[in-house]
Amino acid sequence: MRAALAADQFYQETRDLRVTGFLLFMVSDLVLFSSFIFAYLYLRNTGQGWPPPGAPHLNLALAALNSVVLFGSGATIHFALENWKHEKFMKFAGWTLATIVLGIMFLSGQGIEYYSLYTVDHASWAGSGIFGASFFTLTGMHGLHVFAGIIYLTVLLLQATQGKYTFKHYTGLTLGTLYWHFVDVIWVVLFSIFYLI
Amino acid sequence: MAVTASQPGGIADHIHPEPQGFIRKYVFSIDHKIIGIQYIVTSFVFMVLGGLLAELIRIQLMNANGGFMTPDTYNEVYTIHGSTMVWLVIVPMVTGGFGNFVFPLQIGARDVAFPWLNMVSFWMFPPAGLLLYASFLVGAPVAGWTEYPPVSLQGGPGTSMWCAAIFLVGVGTTLTGINFLVTALKMRAPGMTFTRMPLFVWAQFATAPLVMIATTALAAALAALFMERQFGVPFYDPTKGGSPLLWQHMFWFYSHPAVYIMILPVFGIISEVFPTFARKPIFGYKMIAFSSISIALLGFMVWAHHMFTSGLAPFLQLPFMIMTMVIAIPTGIKVFSWLATLWGGKIQYTTAMLFAIAFIATFTLGGISGVFLAAIPFDLWAHGTYFIVAHIHYVLVGGSLTGIFAGMFYWYPKMTGRFMNETLGRWTFWLFVIGLNGTFVPMHWLGLMGMPRRVAEYDPQFQTINRVESLFSFVMTFAILLFFINALWSIRHGKRAGHNPWHARTLEWQIPSPPPYYNFKHIPTVLANPYAFDEPVPYAGLEDELTDSPVPIPAGAH
Ligand code: HEM
Ligand SMILES: [Cu+2]
Repeated sequence: MRAALAADQFYQETRDLRVTGFLLFMVSDLVLFSSFIFAYLYLRNTGQGWPPPGAPHLNLALAALNSVVLFGSGATIHFALENWKHEKFMKFAGWTLATIVLGIMFLSGQGIEYYSLYTVDHASWAGSGIFGASFFTLTGMHGLHVFAGIIYLTVLLLQATQGKYTFKHYTGLTLGTLYWHFVDVIWVVLFSIFYLI
Repeated sequence: MAVTASQPGGIADHIHPEPQGFIRKYVFSIDHKIIGIQYIVTSFVFMVLGGLLAELIRIQLMNANGGFMTPDTYNEVYTIHGSTMVWLVIVPMVTGGFGNFVFPLQIGARDVAFPWLNMVSFWMFPPAGLLLYASFLVGAPVAGWTEYPPVSLQGGPGTSMWCAAIFLVGVGTTLTGINFLVTALKMRAPGMTFTRMPLFVWAQFATAPLVMIATTALAAALAALFMERQFGVPFYDPTKGGSPLLWQHMFWFYSHPAVYIMILPVFGIISEVFPTFARKPIFGYKMIAFSSISIALLGFMVWAHHMFTSGLAPFLQLPFMIMTMVIAIPTGIKVFSWLATLWGGKIQYTTAMLFAIAFIATFTLGGISGVFLAAIPFDLWAHGTYFIVAHIHYVLVGGSLTGIFAGMFYWYPKMTGRFMNETLGRWTFWLFVIGLNGTFVPMHWLGLMGMPRRVAEYDPQFQTINRVESLFSFVMTFAILLFFINALWSIRHGKRAGHNPWHARTLEWQIPSPPPYYNFKHIPTVLANPYAFDEPVPYAGLEDELTDSPVPIPAGAH
């Protein structure tokens, strides 16, 4: 009994450490994005006006649709974790899978946007001046984060099916969810600064 | 959120099996003490390299028309000198080095929060250093440690290696910052409330967020420079719509906080050495602790004082000037608290204490030249001259490095179980202080007379002063050499020190020297802050630490 109590406390404290560490890691990551966002806003406001001459036209409708997809995935991952807490494994797996699919849809949407920018507007990372530098760097970084998130959630899902987590001990799943929400929030900012202002 | 996480049976009470074999024990170790020593040793190795470059600089400058090396080589040499001293010596030494060795012991923990991550952080450091030095093979960067574009866009391929190296070592430092912050928040022994933390812990606690946030911003600036150089993605090149000023903003947004990364932990060292050798409680404990925090916060709001001559919008200049002067206030509070600690104390003039006292003098001089520079009219005159070189060397050599020596003499017995030789220590001290001031005081005059920094040849009227500086710099180098000899010799031959030779009161001194891999047999309970010198040490549960009693396996450990 005492050993069980101690083990539980051990779990709680490990969880506490890992969640705190992960939050701080996300703060660092946020600073990384913020720095590039600062760079973009700086160049945008000190240059010869925005959009700079020759900048391509972004597809607002597509990006809006894509945003809905990504926000939807924020909801699905939330349902996934809630179901885990309520010990409903199948629902957890279903919602996680839905999140992964939505993530892939988002990336495909990004791909379509990049492709049409490239073929129609002849825009590129290095060849489109400060537009290319800021747009492709930031959305590319975010896309990589989404990609990493898809891998991450897939691994978590596999681990969960193999019984790595219990309904009481599931720190890994919490961290995965946190990460996904983080990527979601970053997109809100990127969408606003590139498509809305 | 519990204030302290450590409870019997909890994570902080977890004892790993002792690692076996040379590789697991000393190379890929996850023990914070070993990692700390690895950081310290590696930093000193890079200090030898950076010091060699410094002497090459001083040899070149002994003649007004140079002649020892080509101006291009000279540019490479001072660039790598500065980059080494900042990123491969001072920053890793005071965070990963002293931070790792001392701070978990002082909070009564068995290790940092993520020991494995700690090892990963360290192992990013030596390869990064080698990468930096490898850049000499292909043409090292030439734009100084600040690498302003457009020059840094034009330099040889080595500049991209510079970006990669600094990025790599920066990632390691960032992870250390995260690790330390979680450790400070969650791993303190029971009873160690914030106002009972030793001041070195406060210093690391204030530094960790700086490291985490500022270094990541630098990473972005470096990544952008790298992308621009390698793939032509325009961020900084004005002919393609980029802005060289953008680099300056991003670089100094990191590098101003970075100067506090290099000095705050050293403030912590001084705050431990002074009360111990003055045998007096530290004066103004809370003021020192909170001034660390306010310095860390204000440190993010002053970066543009490096850009007064760069074409910063005039309405921005004044706020940055005022904020910079404001930051001198918490710094001054510390200096006065230390002086008040000495006042009326029974001072023991150990080598560690001598270095700490010298720190006050030399660091304060550097702070004063800093406040000069914060005044825009003065800065317009002094920017880009040797006055800046004088300022940064007073704060970094007279401040950080002097404090590091104080810390080395102070904690060496804890690391090795033996003293460093005090006689040799005194020689080191006097030669170092004489060499230091002889080298850097005249740089103020040179700067005011208008000698520009970063030049391989100069006006003949400055030659005599430069020769004097070079001579003194040899003295300083010799002193540092004595320190190395002392440190190496004393590992085997130093006088045995016992567990608490200085009669210090923080937790690391209550356990054997060197501490066993698990640090504490039982996690102690802390009853008060450590500095009340006339009372017994404020800890409970330390009875077994110095006896032969077996190491208990705590409940819940596995
Ligand atoms: C009272 C505190 C301080 C003040 C008011 C201050 C002020 C300044 C100012 C205004 C400059 C810009 C000068 C110019 O380029 O024109 C400067 C440069 C610098 N300071 Fe300080 N400083 C202070 C303390 C420190 C400390 C503690 C450190 C490091 C431990 C430090 C390291 C540096 C470095 C490395 C540079 C510049 C470098 C360069 O351009 O290469 N300073 N300081
Ligand atoms: Cu500064």
